[in-house]
Formats: sequence, C-alpha cells, structure tokens
Amino acid sequence: MATERAGTWLPEAGKLELGSCCGPRMLSPERLALTDYEYLAQRHVLTYMEDAVCQLLENKEDISQYGIARFFTEYFNSVCQGTHVLFREFSFIQATPHNRASFLRAFWRCFRTVGKNGDLLTMKEYHCLLQLLCPDFPLELTQKAARIVLMDDAMDCLMSFSDFLFAFQIQFYYSEFLESVAAIYQDLLSGKNPNTVIVPTSSSGQHRQRPALGEASMLEGVEASLFYQCLENLCDRHKYSCPPPALVKEVLSNVQRLTFYGFLVALSKHHGINQALGALPDKGDLMHDPAMDEELERLVVRSRLHRTSRQHRAQEPGTFGFHRRDKLEALERVPSASAPTPSPYRWEPRE
Amino acid sequence: MDWQVNCGLHLVIQTSSLPEKNKVEFKLHKETPSFPGRLLQHDLERNYSSRQGDHINLVSSSMPSFPILQRSSEEKILYSDRLTLERQKLTVCPIIDGEEHLRLLNFQHNFITRIQNISNLQRLIFLDLYDNQIEEISGLSTLRSLRVLLLGKNRIKKISNLENLKSLDVLDLHGNQISKIENVSHLCDLRVLNLARNLLSHVDNLNGLDSLTELNLRHNQITFVRDVDNLPCLQRLFLSFNNISTFESVCCLADSTSLSDITFDGNPIAQESWYKHTILQNMMQLRQLDMKRITEEERRMASVIAKKEEEKKRESQKQSLLKEKKRLTINNVARKWDLQQHRVTSIAANQDRKDSDSPSQDPGQVDGSTISAFPEETGSLDSALGNALQGLSVTDTHLVEVDGDTLSLYGSGALESLDRNWSVQTAGMVTTVSFTFIEFDEIVQVLPKLKIKFPNSLHLKFKETNLVMLQQFNALAQLRRIDQLTIDPQGNPVVSFTLWKYYVLFRLSHFSMQKINGTEVTQNDMIMAERLFGILAHVASSELPQYRLISILGDARKKQFRYLLETKGKKPGIVSEENNDSKRLVGENTNRATLNYTTRDFYNEKLEEIKEKKKFCKMYIEDLVKEATEINMKNEALQKLWPQMFIELVRDAVIEIRNKSSYMKLCLQQITDQK
Repeated sequence: MATERAGTWLPEAGKLELGSCCGPRMLSPERLALTDYEYLAQRHVLTYMEDAVCQLLENKEDISQYGIARFFTEYFNSVCQGTHVLFREFSFIQATPHNRASFLRAFWRCFRTVGKNGDLLTMKEYHCLLQLLCPDFPLELTQKAARIVLMDDAMDCLMSFSDFLFAFQIQFYYSEFLESVAAIYQDLLSGKNPNTVIVPTSSSGQHRQRPALGEASMLEGVEASLFYQCLENLCDRHKYSCPPPALVKEVLSNVQRLTFYGFLVALSKHHGINQALGALPDKGDLMHDPAMDEELERLVVRSRLHRTSRQHRAQEPGTFGFHRRDKLEALERVPSASAPTPSPYRWEPRE
Repeated sequence: MDWQVNCGLHLVIQTSSLPEKNKVEFKLHKETPSFPGRLLQHDLERNYSSRQGDHINLVSSSMPSFPILQRSSEEKILYSDRLTLERQKLTVCPIIDGEEHLRLLNFQHNFITRIQNISNLQRLIFLDLYDNQIEEISGLSTLRSLRVLLLGKNRIKKISNLENLKSLDVLDLHGNQISKIENVSHLCDLRVLNLARNLLSHVDNLNGLDSLTELNLRHNQITFVRDVDNLPCLQRLFLSFNNISTFESVCCLADSTSLSDITFDGNPIAQESWYKHTILQNMMQLRQLDMKRITEEERRMASVIAKKEEEKKRESQKQSLLKEKKRLTINNVARKWDLQQHRVTSIAANQDRKDSDSPSQDPGQVDGSTISAFPEETGSLDSALGNALQGLSVTDTHLVEVDGDTLSLYGSGALESLDRNWSVQTAGMVTTVSFTFIEFDEIVQVLPKLKIKFPNSLHLKFKETNLVMLQQFNALAQLRRIDQLTIDPQGNPVVSFTLWKYYVLFRLSHFSMQKINGTEVTQNDMIMAERLFGILAHVASSELPQYRLISILGDARKKQFRYLLETKGKKPGIVSEENNDSKRLVGENTNRATLNYTTRDFYNEKLEEIKEKKKFCKMYIEDLVKEATEINMKNEALQKLWPQMFIELVRDAVIEIRNKSSYMKLCLQQITDQK
C-alpha cells in the first residue's frame, strides 16, 4: 500500500525537486542504475513516508477516529502544498530541499507584512520570527545569513526584510554547499590546489571564512575563473542541492576576483538563482501577495469589530482617518475574499 | 564666679593646730547680707560691695618700677593677717615688705599683668587676683600653703605653673581664654574648680582630682565630656550654655555615682523631646536637674516614657532588621541569578561554537558560588510581623512578599509558594504579581496554579526573567485574564525588539489589554498588531493540516490534562470549573491557539521522544519498502517468465490429451483406483 501511494505522488515530487540540479530525471539512465530502494531514498520519498508514519504514531487515537486513509491523503497533500513544515522541528524542516523551500515560502508569507510595514530588525529579532515557525531553529544559521547582509558591520545592525530574506534563502537552502565552497575558497586562498583536496566536512570552513587580512590586502579574494572550475567540479559531485552551474558561471564571469562573502552576496541577489529555487517571488514582487492581503484586511476588520464590540469604546472618528479608506475597501472586498480561491497555497516553481 | 572674700568674709584658718589634711573653712561674716547657699552660683554677676576696710599707703620704692607698700602699725595690728588692695589702679604687684605673716591678699580690680613680688608671703592661704590683666599663671611656686586662688576675669590662655600648690582647695579661672584642661591632675585636694566662660571645646584630663565636688563649666563650647566618672566626689556639675547635642557625648555622667546636681540648660540637648526622661532614666543618682529638684512623679514618668521609647526602638529595629534581611535576600538571589545567567550564557556560547577560541568558563568557579552567606531561615508565611509587611517569608535563596495588592516573587524557589494555602482574602486581594530573578520557563510551569490561586491577578510584572523570544509570550495566553503587562528591560532582552509589543497585543488579543509597560494600548496599536501578525495566525489556523492541528492542540490539552490529574484529588470543584473555562478560552481564540509555547526542557524532551519514534519509523519503513521492492522484483521476474510458462503449460496439456482414447482410459483407471 505504501509503495503504491508513494508511486502516485512521485511525479509531483519530481517537479518540486528542481533545486537539486544534478538529480536524475525520471527514467534517465541513472534512474535505471539505482535499485528501487536507493531511488526512493534519494528522492526523499522515504523521508516523507517515515515522517507520515511518525505523525500517525504521534496521534494515533485521534487519527484512527477520522481514518487512516484520510490522514495519508492529508499528509501528502500538505507536503505538496508546503504546509507540512509549519511549526515542525528543525531536523525535519531541513531534511529535504522541498522542506527548505516550503519553510522559506512559509516564512515569507507569514512575515511579509513586517517587511511591508518597513520595520528594520536585528538579526536576533529575525531569529525570533523564525522561531515562531520553528521553535528550535538554530541561531547559527540566522547569524550566518546576517553575516552575508552585514558583511563587516556589527551583528546588531538593523536589516531590511528583503535583504535578510534573500541572504537567508541562500544560506539556508544551500547550507551544505556553502560549507564546501568555504573550504574550497580557503584552500584557494592558501594556494593549495583545491581539485585534489575537497573533503567537505561539517566543521570545515566554518571558522576559516575570513582570510587573514594584511598580506592579501592588495589582491583581496580569489580569481573568479579558477574558483568557478572548482565549483563546477563540486556541483558535479555534490550530493546536496547546488545552484545551477550555469548561473554560478554567470555570477562569476562578471568579475576578475572576488571574496567569499562577495560571492554569497552575488548569489543572494541573483534573480535566476531565486527563480531556480522557486520558493520566493522576485525581489520586486516581494511585498505582493494580493490573496493574503485580502485575507488580512478581512482579519483586521474583524478584530476591530471584535474589540469595539467587546469594549464599547467610543472612538473618535478623526483618529483613524487614514485607515478608513482601507476599511471601506476591505468591506467591499470581503465577499470576494471569502469566495474560494483556487488553491491559494499551491505554487509552481518558475521556469 | 562670685567669690566674696571682701571684708564681709571672715576667714578662719586653722592649719597650725590641725593635721595636714585639714580643710579650710570659710565662715561668713555676719554683716554679709545674703550669701548664696552654694558657692559657685553666679559667674560674673558680681555683687560688689565697695567696702574698703584697709588704709594703705603706697610709697615709691627705692627700686625704679615697683612701689613699696607700707602699712601703719595700727592697721597691721588690726588686720594682721590680711591685706586688701582693691581698685588701686595697680599695674604691677607692689613689693610688700614686712608682712610675711599675711594669710589673705586681695588685688581685685587692678591692672596687674604679671604676678610678682609675693613669693616671700609663704604663709599666704588666700590670693585674689580677680579682674586684672594677667596673661600667664606664674610666680606662685613658693606659696605652698595657698588654698584659694582666684584668677577670674584675666587673660590666661593656659593652666600652668600650679605644680607646687598641692594644698589648693579652690581654683577659680573663670572668664579667661583657656581652651584645654591640663596640668591639674596633682591637685588632689581641690574641691572647687571654676572654668566658666572659657574656650573649652571638650572636657577630659580630669584624673587625679579626687576631692573635686564642684565643677563649673558654664558658657564654654563643650561638645563632649569624658572622665567625669573618675571624679569620686563630684556632686555638682554645671554644663549650662555649651554645645552638647547628644546624650552619648556625655554618657560617662551616667557612670558617676556621686553626682547629684547637674545643669544642661542652654545646650542643644535640652531642646530635645527626649532630654529630660533620658537624663533621668540614665542618671538615677541625680537630685537636681537644671536647678530644679527632681520629684518622684517625674522620675516615674521618665521611666514610663523610657520604656515606651525602648519598645518603639525595638519595634523599629525589628522592622529595619526585616527590611535589611529582605534586602540581603534579594541581593543574594540576584547574585545567584547573575551566576546562573553567566553560566547559561557561557554554555550557550560554547554550544554555538564548539571549537571557538573563547576562554571557557571555569566550572569550579561557578559551582563554588552557591555558598550562602546567610543562615537558612524560613519564616512562616502568615506570621504576624506587623501591618506594613504582611506575610513576609525570608530564606536565603528566595523571597515571597505580599504587600497590599502585590505579590512579589524573587528567585525560582519562590514559585513553590504558590502551592501553599493562601487565605481567600489575601489571594483575592492580589491583583499584581511580580516575578524577579526567575527563569520565564519556570514561571510558565506554574501559570496554571497562578490562575487558580490568584484569580484576580490582572497585572503581571517580569524583571530579570530571561524573556528572550516572542514565542515565550504565547505561554501567557493560557491565563484567565491580563489587563496590564510590565516587562522590565533588565534581564529581558525581548524588550529590545521592535515588534514585541505588537506581538504581545496580537497573541493576547483576547484579553483586550489596557497597558503594556505603563503605556496605554490604543486601537491603532491593536490594528497594527493584527496587520503585522494576522497572516501568521491565519496560516497557522487555516493551512495547518488537520493531523498537525490535532497534534499541536493536543499537546496543550495533554499538558492541561496532566495538570488536572495532579490536582484532581484536592479540589474537584475548581478543576471542573477550570476545565470549562479553558474550553471556552480555546474556543474563543482558535486561530491563534496553535501558537503556543513549550518550555525549552519540555521541548527537548519532546524532541527526544520524536527521535525515538523516528528511529522506529525508519526501521519500519525500511523493512516495508525492502519487502515491497522485493515483491516487486519477484513480480517483475514472474511477469517476464509467465508468457513462456503459459505456453509450456498449454503445450503439455495438449500433448496429454492428444490421444483421446488412451487419455479416457487413463482417466477411468484413475477413478476406479480411487474407489
């Protein structure tokens, strides 16, 4: 039964797995070289199956009341929609590229309003927002993302929502890739031939990212073309998600030399990579989410009514003058917002 | 000082016929109209009667500067032992010849600057130099018999050169410029010492004056008095018009057993409300204070007042002791908290970067820090210690205090007090609960108790509670009601966030809060909060798959259930009411109920649990998938073989039935065999 279910879902998963550039396509020669089990594992199908059973175990009394079949349907639907990562533990959120993309998207959707409001926040506050969605989200990742934005500035500087989000996307989604890149970069800096020594481990590069300044002040960073060769090599062999090599080449072809953080900044600002990743809209459209805005207006009106009915507080009409237009608009929109929208949470990766 | 030794005084001196230690007796002349009963009564108010009994001729001496005194023989006979040279405008002492038997010599009211020319008068007993211009005591070393020396109203700066005057009985130095009592310790026969109207700033160096009965120190600048308890015969002490302001500065007086008469009038101390009864209480031997006889009634009153004072003092001491204890306890709690925080952050830092080069915290230093400077002391909660501090419980690790409508908890141990049986009245009165030096995660665990025990608490205060995440505010949603929230920035980093107030308003919107950190909440704030976080709530409620909804709400319900189980035995009535209440609350707030907070420990526990389950699921799925792929493989193999097998089977069957008759025969044979 389980295999059958997974089978029906597979094509969908294949589409969602765009981020993994070197992943084999369905029926490609590599696919035939793998055993069924290996294939399922590589496509993270096993991860979801395991998690589904785990969730089932967690609430078996409640779920048995409304049906095991119903549960599995819901589970895999939520995986497709990306809502399965909400409030889950970090180990699950980072388990698959799809989960990561889903989390990025959830973060964007939930806190887009913070960015829209124009608030500049500190790294710690962004971290708090992340923790609202994932209680055990590690501070280290947020710090690294902030480092991409702030470069040499102090860590308690304020950042705009979009800067942080795009840097965070790169850092979170390509976490393992970036660690390997850091190791390569370090090797290049110290003059080693990186093609022979790439053994990325989890701890390598983490604390060596900053080159010893001083002697290299004249020629900061590494040569772009050499760097690209190494990265291409890495992308070919890397088992985690990598950005598309063509886009990496594009990033690196514009400059002669660049530093590690320069590279990360370029990655985070690259439209193509964002599109290839497919979790977030373009930077220009980052604040744009009409369906949610309508929903929000509805909520605001409701909460206002709720509060006034509760408190019977006489409000001066002039005080909220600028909100009035919104309110009227919102009231007009209410019927349309309540009308069923065609699967508002399903999103398709961009071409 | 009024030392009336003019002609009115008849001096009877009996030294010759009496042993050494005899006292000089002064007898009053009958003509003296009214001589005060006490000798040193007035200072300067000198009632001078200008009766001149002597007729003196001053003749220029052979020496150039000193006049030579000569008396007529009649006078010598009449007043053989006395000589009075009052108001003679003398600027020097005259040479007194042939008068070696003189016992009394009077130079009052002259302009003498130096004591001279009297060293031959060795039988002199009485020397009066009142109102002259003498600057130094001198020229007296031969007058070993001298008993009375009157040097009042001169210009003397220093007590000196009295070494040989061992028999001195009365020494009057009033109205001079003396700033220090000195060089008198050998005067063991001195009975009267007058130092009024000098420049004394304090009194000491009184040792050796074993016969002193009267000491006049009026009109000085004395601030303190010492050594008076070393004067065994002192009966009268006059300290009027000085600068004494506390009883402590004259406390040696209390130790004097002989003192019976004392004056303090004109001192700051005499203005104090406690003056009289303090003096009376401390100096039981007194008979007169400030020239007034002390009555029994006064003494009784004094002792009553003193007793009251004492009680008051003890009470206030108790109060201040309690206050001090409270302060110390809070300090102690704060210190522990700091250490704990330090440890926590250092651990966190180590976790953040395990291979960082930051110096690791010395664990010994942290562990050794719990040494308590105060003895373990547990006061009972409802002990009646007074009205101001109702129910003060002090230990060295935490503090619980109820002051009016505020319950203050310091230190994590204080949370246990919520388990106690609080009186309904006290519990009902408490509207403000303040937490200091307690981990927020620990507070979260007692919130259900707080809700039951203090149902009227509307205002929560947090200070030094390690509020670091917005998420933590979710925990407060389970309370019955909050009107006000005060989060002190001290020890609560979350307050530095831009969005924290809006998040609080959003998450606790069902309370319709009035104030956050003392600032009134406006409708605009509420709308802003909704705009910022409304989508989060919407996503959390409408997009969460049902199984997750059950799981998240289930956790909360489970927690509640666990708590209910704990309290079930005790008060079933409250529990059921509580149950309804929570159900109602959850219903009211479904779209944010999924935003809850589990404390770190609980969450980690849960993660461990999940890990275990995952391990199992992984194995289970692995087996399942392997089995399924195996079946699939077999199936595929079978599918491959099946067409050939089918053909072979058919061929075999056809071959078998090709010869019809033999096949029939075979069949029949089989049937008969079966029978």
